[in-house]
Amino acid sequence: MDETVAEYIRRTVLKIPRNEIKTMLQKWGFLSEAQLQTINFGQIKENISQDVVQLCEENSADIKQAAVLDIIYSHIYPDKRVWHVYQMNKTGEETAFFDLMDFKKKFKRRLRSALKNVTINFREYEDNAIWIRIAWGTPYTKPNQYKTSYVVYHSQTPYVFISASVLKSNLPLLCQALVVAANYHDIREMELRGHSLNSLKDIVFKRYSQLTKLSVFFFFFSSLLFSPASDLRIVQENKNEKERIQSVNREVFGDGPQPKLEFAQYKLETMFRSDPKMDVLDKREPFRCLVKFSSPHLLESLKSLAPAGMADAPLSPLLTCIPQKARNYFKIREKKAFFPGSFVSP
Amino acid sequence: GVLAHLEMLEARAHEAAVKQEETEQQEEKLARLKARVQELRLQRDELRAKVDLQQKRQLGQEGVVSDPEQPSAQAVLEWKIKSVKDMLQIFYLTGISGKLTKHGVCFCISTAYEGTYLDSYYLDLLTKPEVQIHRHSVPIFIPLEQIAKKYLQTDIRRFFSVLSDHLNAYAGRRYQADQLQEHFSDQIEGTLQRNSLCNLLVFNYNTSGKSKTFPFNARLLYGDLCCSLPTEVFVSWRLDAPASLAETAAAHSDLFRRMALHKAFRTFSSAERLVD
Repeated sequence: MDETVAEYIRRTVLKIPRNEIKTMLQKWGFLSEAQLQTINFGQIKENISQDVVQLCEENSADIKQAAVLDIIYSHIYPDKRVWHVYQMNKTGEETAFFDLMDFKKKFKRRLRSALKNVTINFREYEDNAIWIRIAWGTPYTKPNQYKTSYVVYHSQTPYVFISASVLKSNLPLLCQALVVAANYHDIREMELRGHSLNSLKDIVFKRYSQLTKLSVFFFFFSSLLFSPASDLRIVQENKNEKERIQSVNREVFGDGPQPKLEFAQYKLETMFRSDPKMDVLDKREPFRCLVKFSSPHLLESLKSLAPAGMADAPLSPLLTCIPQKARNYFKIREKKAFFPGSFVSP
Repeated sequence: GVLAHLEMLEARAHEAAVKQEETEQQEEKLARLKARVQELRLQRDELRAKVDLQQKRQLGQEGVVSDPEQPSAQAVLEWKIKSVKDMLQIFYLTGISGKLTKHGVCFCISTAYEGTYLDSYYLDLLTKPEVQIHRHSVPIFIPLEQIAKKYLQTDIRRFFSVLSDHLNAYAGRRYQADQLQEHFSDQIEGTLQRNSLCNLLVFNYNTSGKSKTFPFNARLLYGDLCCSLPTEVFVSWRLDAPASLAETAAAHSDLFRRMALHKAFRTFSSAERLVD
């Protein structure tokens, strides 16, 4: 077995939390159950990984098999990467007969015709997600297994999720291969990025739409449901205002959990509006400014602002439009019309 | 003197003891009254539930009450849940249902395939200034936008009919593929190759779970997205397989064209078992 393969497997196993190693190796399926029994998963990870490498040596693992273990790890821990969302376009409405074999063949052929030194692995999951792992090399060097790009694609949808983390120069090649393989015409990057792959999927596939069976169930039959008796001795202050805020919040955010985003960025190129007498800027130039909101869970925190009394309801549409517009990077410029204001560029 | 002082202390102690007894009695009384209040509140709630139930019965609705003398809050809740479930059942049977909302209508499209209920999908429509889709739970790969562009403004009944056809057909295709994977996994090599719309299925298979080889290859294309049966079927067999398989392949192809995938498998699998 190649030294580099052994080292790669060793480092991949080290990344896995100790109590997950056995399950992941079982999912991998490269080592037999009998072989797995011989490993003591209670020892320190350094030793476990050495044992695993030893067994892989016995089975003569190659880089393709090692890559599969990496895909399994990345699929279980996708949030460790930053995902960018891309949208493909095509003209015409022909019924798409998406053939997986055909897709894989075209993708590999396109990529390999431009760059000989690449490792390409595919893995399909039950939710029709196709995971592609690409390790990039150069015309003169072998693929670097530690500099990988991941692509997640659901057939018959125009959206692709890419975690590049590599040389930007390979990105156009990757995009081209995808467009050709999926039978589309072109591809563009959307202004939507985040760590939570599932949340990004929720946003573009509109799965966050709060119309789950449960919420519609309650919606249709709310009048019949049991309402708890309230104690008449308790008086709610500002009851109307609180109810208005709740109602507006529900209109805007819905009842369900919000998709998980970590930041929203607004690049402002607007004119500074001040009292003409103050004359802060004598040059009539746009004021450039970058505003970035960060949070472990941005949309949930925005949702809780008004009920917590920290902001007025309704919130600015610039914040609340994030899921509907499927973007969290904005450029705001001056509106070139007769009434002042600003508009969000496409 | 000392004795007078002692007398004074004694008197004070006596006073304190009397006061303490009084406070204790007060507290006991308070506790009893509190308990009484709880009791009365409980009774009040029960009576309220009873009255509620009586009113509903008078309106001519069905009520399920186990003990007409003492309908507990629990029983009332159970009755409400049951009537809600009954209404949902009615909606399932009709396939499309709707309810007026503040700004429009919310529709629910229920899908089913040959007697089995499958998923439901929802559309929240706005009616002003024109009919538009506000929110929905239709999967992204169903051509909702295209269907809406064609029919939503002009013929809303047709819109729902076409959309319902798409969704029912998709649910049916997916159900067949799932059933095949679940019940005939030993007759299929690996996993079924499919896609999001389940409109292209490719798999290698055999006719008996005991066999280790998979001489047949099936390729099913569902060209009509509103149909849950394939428009084109290609069944081929391995080059090294006996020529007699040609006839079997043709028979299978015919079955796949006419009936549900898992039923077709049941047909030729059971025949095979009989032969064995």
